[in-house]
Amino acid sequence: MTSLNAILTGGLQGYILVALLLFLVGLAAVLCRRSVLLQFMGVELMLNAANVALLAFARFRGGDAQGTVYYLFIIAVAACEAAVGLALVVGLYRHRQSTDTDRADALKQ
Amino acid sequence: MFLIFALITLAGAVALVFQRNLVVAGLCLVLCFMGVSGLFLLLANPVAAALQIIVYSGAIVVLLLFVVMLLNEHQEEAAVRARPLQRWLSVAVLLVLGAGVVKLVAGSKLLKQLDASPMPPAMTLNTLGDALFGRHLLGFEVAGLLLLAAMVGAVALVKRDL
Repeated sequence: MTSLNAILTGGLQGYILVALLLFLVGLAAVLCRRSVLLQFMGVELMLNAANVALLAFARFRGGDAQGTVYYLFIIAVAACEAAVGLALVVGLYRHRQSTDTDRADALKQ
Repeated sequence: MFLIFALITLAGAVALVFQRNLVVAGLCLVLCFMGVSGLFLLLANPVAAALQIIVYSGAIVVLLLFVVMLLNEHQEEAAVRARPLQRWLSVAVLLVLGAGVVKLVAGSKLLKQLDASPMPPAMTLNTLGDALFGRHLLGFEVAGLLLLAAMVGAVALVKRDL
């Protein structure tokens, strides 16, 4: 199977490519957008890219349960991160009446 | 099939980056997660696909949209000052990284070797439960403790006078 064929029909290379591109798009959201909520969505995208790569490798290396167990732990941590991260956003908004990261550039008000 | 789900995933993600309205961006995020869940189905992992929809689309995005509506920040605010250098630098870095990624994946011999492996049986909840409560019991308990700590932490951060 050639590389292009593997990418188009869903070989391991295709999944890894999708995962890496998803990571880059998430990075673009974090780097190029100013709203902290959109940056948070970018972080979620990057986390998902890691999950796609993890489960793709798990399936192409025999498909045992370890990969899925690890995925379960990752989404548990992601849920914690979402709860605490959004609480921080609400706290930031209370202090500065803004969710713009450019306006939150001082440690003290 | 793979191509469809991959395109749904990437289209949702790209639409998120270029979206002006934050609520619509959250819905783009749901679209992206649906695509990812379809990819998990194709990877013979229906358990992960279901978890993806329940936890990400069902819990995290709802929490996110709830905060967007609570703060009433549907639009991004106007920039304090334009930062053309940083903007172009980040675009350049992303383009270089993207080109490098495509070149690396397309030329990788190791990934091509793994490609030949046969399709494993689909993951079931039984297999997952055996592994989770057998070998990974400690990790499971620690994850539960972590969720509790995050819950208490989130309440402590948001509450005005504790």
